[in-house]
Amino acid sequence: MLMMYVTEVMNFIFWLVVVPFCIGMIPANFISPVRRSPGFILLSGYFGMWALFEISAVPAVLWVKYDNFKAASAAFTVLSLAAAAAGLLLLYRNGRAGGAGLIWGTKGNDVKSLSPAEWIEWLLFFALLGFQLYKAVAYASFDGDDAYYVVESLIAQESDVMYRILPYTGRPTDLDVRHALAVFPMWVAFMSVRANVHATIVSHVVMPLVLIPLTYLLYFEIGRLLFAERENQPVFMIIMAVFQIFGNVSIYTNETFFLTRTWQGKAVAGSLVIPALLWVFLLLYGEEKQKSDIAVIKNRANGGIWMLFAFVHMTAGVCSSIAVFLSCILTALTAFFLAFTKRDIKILLKMGAACVPSVIYMGIYVVVAYSYLL
Amino acid sequence: MWGIFLESVVIFKNYMGFHENHFLAVIYLLALLYLWLTEKDKCRRAIFVYAPTLLLLLFFCPLFRKVFVRVLEDSETYYRLLWLLQMSIVSAYGLLKFVGRHRRIGLAAACLVIAACGDYVYDSEHISKAENAYHLPQEAIDIVDMIEPETGRITVLVPADLIYYVRQYSTDIELPYGREMLISRWDYHNAMYEAMEEVEVIDTPSFVELTRHGNFPCTYVVLKEDREISEPLTDYGFSVYGQVGEFVVYRDTTL
Repeated sequence: MLMMYVTEVMNFIFWLVVVPFCIGMIPANFISPVRRSPGFILLSGYFGMWALFEISAVPAVLWVKYDNFKAASAAFTVLSLAAAAAGLLLLYRNGRAGGAGLIWGTKGNDVKSLSPAEWIEWLLFFALLGFQLYKAVAYASFDGDDAYYVVESLIAQESDVMYRILPYTGRPTDLDVRHALAVFPMWVAFMSVRANVHATIVSHVVMPLVLIPLTYLLYFEIGRLLFAERENQPVFMIIMAVFQIFGNVSIYTNETFFLTRTWQGKAVAGSLVIPALLWVFLLLYGEEKQKSDIAVIKNRANGGIWMLFAFVHMTAGVCSSIAVFLSCILTALTAFFLAFTKRDIKILLKMGAACVPSVIYMGIYVVVAYSYLL
Repeated sequence: MWGIFLESVVIFKNYMGFHENHFLAVIYLLALLYLWLTEKDKCRRAIFVYAPTLLLLLFFCPLFRKVFVRVLEDSETYYRLLWLLQMSIVSAYGLLKFVGRHRRIGLAAACLVIAACGDYVYDSEHISKAENAYHLPQEAIDIVDMIEPETGRITVLVPADLIYYVRQYSTDIELPYGREMLISRWDYHNAMYEAMEEVEVIDTPSFVELTRHGNFPCTYVVLKEDREISEPLTDYGFSVYGQVGEFVVYRDTTL
């Protein structure tokens, strides 16, 4: 029994920590060493992993009729392990070249230099985070949509079928393109199969343990860009945590989705994907930089960040069809204002290029949804 | 157009919880206003001031709403446009800029104001102590464990209380109808659902006709023990297979 638990945990650690971290070294290799951090690597690795899952699963959903989950899982396993291996290779090459570290960059780890007050503030934040994780594990949150999303994951795990069985009843059904292109439940199913844990347990217990800290990691990265003074960062994180806990002003807010239906793709879209777009905008244009860093950043292309930008747009498609539309709206508006304020029309073109995955997604959506007219 | 605008106003008020005296939106709007007045960095103005302001204007624009609903063929999800405002990030940024060097007192005040204007998520009626690792009602699990076949699948008729949960535990259990029947605005109709849930007293002969000879014959029928029924199911070829809490499990011995 103990051995079984150990194996399950090891599998989760491998697929939910090691693989995304290794994948994240690919975009990290193509950014300035000043910006590199384990947080950047893990987050960009996750978005990269979800992008790979979209590439693997959507064609299988659309064009493979039988055992389509098996086909998607096989393709994703190959692609993600290849990407992780490529990330490790880049880490090795970087180490051999003697350049700035791929993981910590030029800034290194400055935990030791925290003042006692900062320690207390960080402890307070981690207490709030721990409280949310405890609530997520020890308390059940009812949501009617689970009868769709969680059952879709379970069907994939138990029957190797994606979106061909109506989750509500178990009867065969035609492809519902609005849900079928948002393959987040299939990613949950993939993790369930790899760890050999029931998909409902993975959805309700394992996913919050992964997605809540990951979301706060993203907020931390955003805080790091917003505030050059390090003392502000724990305060920012505490306010963010309190906002999530008291953000339940209605059942519609992204804060409510974040803590009551963490495992659903739309919650990930609202709390992780959309803030990730703000993060990317800040990385590209809005970071509060120290003068010494500016030269280093300018000397290195932002290729990794543009890569991340495209990954985030692809992840929006993994989460929900509407998230694709929302991501494009936010990108378009921000690009317009950035181009206007910076007097640089190229910003519109570059950001438009990052939306290409979303445009392809919407094209597929329209073709499949209206194919009966052809 | 005026009607569409008013609908957007209602959606906004419902989203922000004004009708329940929640005012996180006020914190957000004040933070946004503060950033309008003080944010010097052009890029940050674009990201945290101009884009959210235009988004808010678009949200209330009837023409935009018409296009959004037409493109997505869904008016129920319009509120998700407000997710793009990212209230928490903009509010936290604005608050921290506002308090400046008075970080600690500012932090305490910000937390108090957020708690006072917001609503504690874990007070929700939808959140309860988990009964098991699945986060499903234990009764649903016990019933499925009792009837789940070793191979193949069976169809089971369950009361509305269990519909959400049964297939989250095992997809070997099929249902004659599902959650779609419980959402009245979706406007589905199903004779078996009406016979099971919409009558005060279940009419046994017609009910059995549906469960046995309907489109999806049900091997098991689960009823609440206090469910009123004109004649006992045991008079119509069913046997009591077991009981879990308030739920009685009947097996159709003719199938």
